[in-house]
Parts: sequence; C-alpha cells; structure tokens
Amino acid sequence: MPFMRRRTREALAGWIFISPALVTQVLFIYFPLGWSFFVSFFRWNLIRPMRYIGFDNYTSMFTSSDFWHSLSVTFVYVAVTVPVSIFIGLLLALLVNLPWLKGKGAFRTFFYVPVITSMAAAAVIWAWIFESNVGLLNYFLSWFGIKSINWLSDPNYALVAMMIIGIWKRIGYNMVLFLAGLQVIPRTYYEAADIDGATPFKKFLSITWPLLSPTTLFVTVMQFIASFRVFVSVSVMTRGGPAQSTQVITFYLYENAFAYLKFGYAAAISVFMFVLMIIFTLIQFRFSKKRVHYL
Amino acid sequence: MRKIPSLWIRVPLYIVIITIMLLVNLPFIWMLVTAFKHESEVFSLPPRFYPDFFDFRNFAGAMEQIPMGRYLFNSLFVALSVTLLQLVFNSFAAYGLSRLRFKGRDLIFLILVGTLMVPPEVTLVPLYIIVKNLGMIDSYRVLIIPFMSSAFGIFLLRQFFLGIPRELEEAAIIDGAGRVKIFFTIILPLSKPALWTMSLFTFIAHWNEYMWPLVSVSDPKYQMIQVGISQFVSGWETRWTYRMAASALTVVPIIIFFFFVQKQFVEGISVSGIKE
Repeated sequence: MPFMRRRTREALAGWIFISPALVTQVLFIYFPLGWSFFVSFFRWNLIRPMRYIGFDNYTSMFTSSDFWHSLSVTFVYVAVTVPVSIFIGLLLALLVNLPWLKGKGAFRTFFYVPVITSMAAAAVIWAWIFESNVGLLNYFLSWFGIKSINWLSDPNYALVAMMIIGIWKRIGYNMVLFLAGLQVIPRTYYEAADIDGATPFKKFLSITWPLLSPTTLFVTVMQFIASFRVFVSVSVMTRGGPAQSTQVITFYLYENAFAYLKFGYAAAISVFMFVLMIIFTLIQFRFSKKRVHYL
Repeated sequence: MRKIPSLWIRVPLYIVIITIMLLVNLPFIWMLVTAFKHESEVFSLPPRFYPDFFDFRNFAGAMEQIPMGRYLFNSLFVALSVTLLQLVFNSFAAYGLSRLRFKGRDLIFLILVGTLMVPPEVTLVPLYIIVKNLGMIDSYRVLIIPFMSSAFGIFLLRQFFLGIPRELEEAAIIDGAGRVKIFFTIILPLSKPALWTMSLFTFIAHWNEYMWPLVSVSDPKYQMIQVGISQFVSGWETRWTYRMAASALTVVPIIIFFFFVQKQFVEGISVSGIKE
C-alpha cells in the first residue's frame, strides 16, 4: 500500500487487530445490556408479542414483597460471608506467611483447591455433608450434643448452609490476595519493632493491619460483588426454598425469566442489579485512588 | 537475623495449619471415600472413613444414569475451544491496544475493559433471547461463540505487552517487517507466561461454568458436566454413592491439573487480583 501514509497504515492495522474482540464484546455484552434496558419497559413472555408498559415492571418490582425479600436474603448472605471469609482468609495468610514454616507452597495450594473446583460439584458434595440423617456435619455436631439439623429443609438453617459453602469456597482466594499484600510490607518495619520488643500481636495491630488496608479494601469489594452474585449453590441445592429462605436475588431473576417467562420483569431486575454493581465498583475506584494506609 | 520460635510454639501451629488444611479439603476426601463405598456402607453410623473394599461399580452406575462421558467431552471441547479462541482474539486486541497508535484507542480500551463491570447475570436474559432468535439454542455454538473474547484476558495481556521493550521491535521495523510479522515473531513468543496464565484461567472458568449452559442448553447431547451432575441431585432416588462418583469424575481431573499448574495460577491471581 504505497499510497497510504504510515500513520494511516498503523491506524488501519490497529483497527484490524482490535475488531474481532470489539465486535464480540459489543455483540454479546453491550448489545444485550442495552436490550436489558429496552426489554425492561415491556411485558413479554416470548410467545405473545411484546407490549410497551412504561415503568410498570419497575413499579411492580419495587412494590413486590418477593423482590424485597430476595434482596434482604442476599444482603444477609453478603453481610455474613464477606467479613467471615475475609477474617479466615487473613488468618490463613498470616499462618502460611510465618517465616519458619516449611511447605508453604503445599499449604497454599491445598487451601486454594476449593476455589478452582466448580461450585456445582461442590454443592453436590456439600449436599451429602449436610444430609440430615447420616451426613458428616450432623455427625460432628453430635459430638457436642447438638441434635441433628435439617440443613437444607429447615428454613432457619438453609441460608446458613449456603453461607458455609460460600465461605469455604472463597477463603483460599482471600488468602492468596492477603499473602501478596503481606509480601509488599517492608521487613525493616518488623525489625525495628523487634528492637523495641513489640509482641506479635502489637506488631500485627500497628504494622501489618494498617499496611494491609489497600489489600483489605480490594478483597472486600471483590467479595462483596462475588457474594452478591451467589447463584449456583442455591440453584443446585435448595432452588430458593425452603419457604423462600434462600431466595437470593439472582435466583429470583432466574425464576422470573425461565420459570415464569416474565422476561420484561426479569430484565428490570437485571437493570437494578447492574446499577448496584456499578455503584460498588465506583466505590472501589474512589477508595483505591486514595492511599488507604494513612486513613 | 530473626530468631526461630521454640518447638512449643512451632508444633502447635503446625498442628493448627494441618488441621485447617484437612478440614478445608474434607469435602473432597469424603467425596472420594463415598464414591468407593458400597451402597450398604453409606448409611452406617458412625461414618467410616475407609471403605470395606474399593467398589468401582459406582462410577459405572453413575455413567449409566446420566451420560457422563458425553458431558465430560462437551465440557472439555467447549472449554478448550473458548480458550483457543480467546488466545487469538484477546492477544490481537491487546496488541492493537498496546502497540498501535490510532484515534479513539483509549476509548476502545475503556469499552473493552468496561465489560468487567457487567456481571453475566445482568445480560443473561437478553443474551438468551438473542441466541434463541438466532436459532443457536442447544448447540456447541451457543456455548462458545459469546465467549470468544474477554475483558479480563485483554487487560492481562495488554499489561504484559506494555512491559515488553519497544527496542526489540524497532530493529524489526527497520528491517521492513510488518505489524503482523512483529506480532507473531516478537510479541507472542515473549509473552508465553501471560498467555499461559490467561489460558489456565479461561479453561478452568469455562469448565466450571454452570449458569449459561443451564439456560441455553436442554439437549443432553450438548450439556456440560456441571449442569449434568447437578441434575443428579434433583432426582431424589439417586444414590449418594453415584453422586459422589460423578462429582469425583468432575472435580478430580481439575484438581490434578491444578496441582501441576498451581504456581502460575496463584501468581496470576496475586498479580491481577481477578478471578473468573
């Protein structure tokens, strides 16, 4: 192409290189996202033609007790799993990071196994552990005199069961991020503290915890978003039940779309979730720009 | 020099760490134990951690009840196809975004990476409607085509490409090499670690995928393993031994694979902080 200027050629090459990815991302993410907004203004069951109903889907969503119920179930789930999984993840990271510990790599790998296995298989396995008559968990609890619990069929416990799996699945991920955060803290701080005769607990409070705060914030936001999206364990084990006690927002969305064929209404729920996610992400951006250390 | 604490501190801490490690992996151990048990042993109390004899019939039983082989093949095929396509699409895009200057490049970057903020649940309903209208329901295409590129992969590769010194390409440009040649002979060979990390993430994420095949596939011919084994639970008459055997077939290959690649995998997480 001798007639083209060098910059034009470079621009052309650039567009050719990015276009396959751009086309797929636009077609399979941005276009559906736009569709979500569009469909949320219609009543549509895929069989009869779409009917424009304005904001009706949104008003019925915000006045639906089922919607608020599923939102509150989700927030209870998030409010427990996020702090607990962060606490255990940090504890594991501190243990595995002990300087004299041998076999660090092996421990790290084994703690990470639940993260890479699929939630669907994990849910099948945990359903067996939660089994009320001969399940492993009730057997362990019987050592402490606790009577057998119907983990998956008692409305008081089903969500707790979901939380246990959620926490179990995520602690390894949190541990790895905290381990990375711990490597960044300069050793000289600890050496100075040693000279001052600080106890390990004091060192944790005044060095490790404050300097880990950027990692902690990042882990918190990641876990918040991930927990909020809980779906697979519910879909495999309880299907929202018993008595809607595990009806999380994603499962509510799924049911409205694929069980009740209320596609317009489900799209409105999607839009609502999207707005929440954007808010979470913006909070993360805002905080991560500041230096959290010295707050 | 830091002093090493006495045995009285080290031994209890080792015990604590090993106990937690065993507890975390207990579900997998219990799965394997149950998978080899005879049906009559399953309901013995207290639970036994070793089967009387290793019974391989549960695997055959599970395979009889659901087409496990087919599901496993489908998952392998889909996850590999997605990974290969993403290697091409993502690295192309990452190269364009990191090395070629053109108007609107930064905007394109934002557009491509911005999809990280769109969780799949949000696009689930409309994507389903689109693929249904395209007649793609119940096919391999529906499981592969929507995932040919990913924001995560593009971002990871772009960051890596930016770290490759430009001097390496300048010599080739003086020699008259074109963009495509530079990409294939200089950039890609230098980026093997990043390409490998991206492939691992992509493969495992799609092997584990549950939600999309659940809604887009109902024909067992195309169903993936995660949905396949979960359907085992809803059939109440199914035996636990079969379920655990099926779970073992799903989980054990991935765990073994992970043991071989865990170093790159875990380091990839620490660097990018992103999981699929």
